[in-house]
Amino acid sequence: MKFVTYRLQKAIGRFFFGLYCSISYIFLLSPMVVVIGTSLNGPTENVEASFTFPPDSFSLYWYTQIPEGQIDALLLSFVLATVASLCGCLLGVPAALGLVRSNVPGKALISAIFRAPLQIPAIVTGIAFLQLFYWIGDLTGFYWQGSIIGLALGHIFIATPYVVGTVTAILQRFDTRLEEAAVIHGASPRRAFFRVTLPVIMPGVYAGALYAFMVSFSDVPVAIFLSSPGFVTYPVEIFFALENDFEPSLMASATLVIIICLLLLLLVQKVIGLDALLKVGGSRGVG
Amino acid sequence: MWVRWWILLIPPLIVGFTLVAASQFVFLRASFFEDLGLGRVGDELVIENYVQFLTDGFYLKILWVTVKTSALAALSTLILGFPVAYLIARMRSSWSMILLAGIVVSTFITIVIKVYGLIVIFSANGLFNQTMLAIGLFDKPFSVFGNETGVVIGLMHFTLGFGVLLLYSIIQTIPKSLESAAQIHGANRWRVYYRIIFPLSLPGVTAMLLMVFNMCMGAFTSAALLGGGLVFTLPVMIQRIVMMDIKYSMGATIAAVLLVSVIIINLLSIYLLRRLRAAHLVVV
Repeated sequence: MKFVTYRLQKAIGRFFFGLYCSISYIFLLSPMVVVIGTSLNGPTENVEASFTFPPDSFSLYWYTQIPEGQIDALLLSFVLATVASLCGCLLGVPAALGLVRSNVPGKALISAIFRAPLQIPAIVTGIAFLQLFYWIGDLTGFYWQGSIIGLALGHIFIATPYVVGTVTAILQRFDTRLEEAAVIHGASPRRAFFRVTLPVIMPGVYAGALYAFMVSFSDVPVAIFLSSPGFVTYPVEIFFALENDFEPSLMASATLVIIICLLLLLLVQKVIGLDALLKVGGSRGVG
Repeated sequence: MWVRWWILLIPPLIVGFTLVAASQFVFLRASFFEDLGLGRVGDELVIENYVQFLTDGFYLKILWVTVKTSALAALSTLILGFPVAYLIARMRSSWSMILLAGIVVSTFITIVIKVYGLIVIFSANGLFNQTMLAIGLFDKPFSVFGNETGVVIGLMHFTLGFGVLLLYSIIQTIPKSLESAAQIHGANRWRVYYRIIFPLSLPGVTAMLLMVFNMCMGAFTSAALLGGGLVFTLPVMIQRIVMMDIKYSMGATIAAVLLVSVIIINLLSIYLLRRLRAAHLVVV
């Protein structure tokens, strides 16, 4: 009898624990599910009814109604995130290699400089870059805010630390004896690097590039200061759309963005595995 | 192997240092100019703006709201996130990867889209309010817009995924065998939580709370969207004062106050994490 009550207690405990965890997941994921679901509503008499969830009908009507401004913004965001991700890798990978492999004095300070953008709240980065661009503009006559240069600089600034972080994490666990073995067997240091070291750290580079892309692709607080009317990133565009014209077509474009993000994550996951993605550093969203 | 690795450090260091130093210098300097409104500033360095911030009840109240909502969001993130992190860390099947993927996906979607979902869920005739009214938990629709509860919910959407991943790595360092040992010696589930998991995860959890608190202090998007122009936190105020009131100096001053407070909390958590890492208690 006692055994039965113990089993029962355990089962009840498990049930409530599972329920509690499901609530967390529902909290976390329901907004995205609702956005995707709502985007499938058909055209209705009043706009209000197009926001019902679960959707009344299955229709792709709102996907045809996405305003051109949002498509442009989405393209700009995509280009910008690609640039930020590439430049982040170009700066971040050498930085990580130099940090881990060299023994220059003041390494702690150097790594603090690389990590600084993570410590500065994004909104502060935004206003700081705006002021910087005003200052440069007053000096040279070229104002960088509202241009691709300004936006790219801001996003490279916030995205690079992620690449430094992921590549450093991999390099620290890299066994340098592998490289030595290659050299002993006659490989030049250059060949050893490109044939042994680089392939090993590539998962870190992919993960860092993904984080950098996502940071840029979902950033509002930096881009809000550096965009100009007609030259806006997607998150900023829909940030303002919320206040001005909240239309069901927003749900359609948001669904496209969710799909893009999922596909990218899936791609990286296929290449390096989710495990590696998490091991090289926690993802930290922006907002 | 004899390679001059330090050469690789030079280009990124130049770019990184220039961007950090130049941007921070220019904006910190701007915060010391008197604000004449409409983008015009005085030409003498004064501490007028800081005095105004510290003596004006309006700004101090915003600081208080920021601290309050951030603290609430950090605590709620812990309460909602810890069991999930524990579940994933202790799970042996391949389900743990699927559950982790769910967390990662949520951290990758921009918060603006999540707020869209929240709008639909919490609208007066949306799913949440209809259910709550039907079972009689509320007698009038509950709104998440323009109140502090909403801001806390928004901040949690921003931090929960990150928080769970952090807690997951903390819990992974607590050996399962300790729990089994306690259970073999007759401890029930609650006692295991209370005497094993709680004390062993406490240092890591403290560091996590500080980090999440910090993220919330600097969070702009979720606070701005859910505050709906009625609840102001420091980041929301910075954007408003710069873009609507066009007071660049005052905006820079608020940003400087935010930056300093965030850095102090950061140093605290870095110090704490270093102590923990030395004691092999966390692997983050």
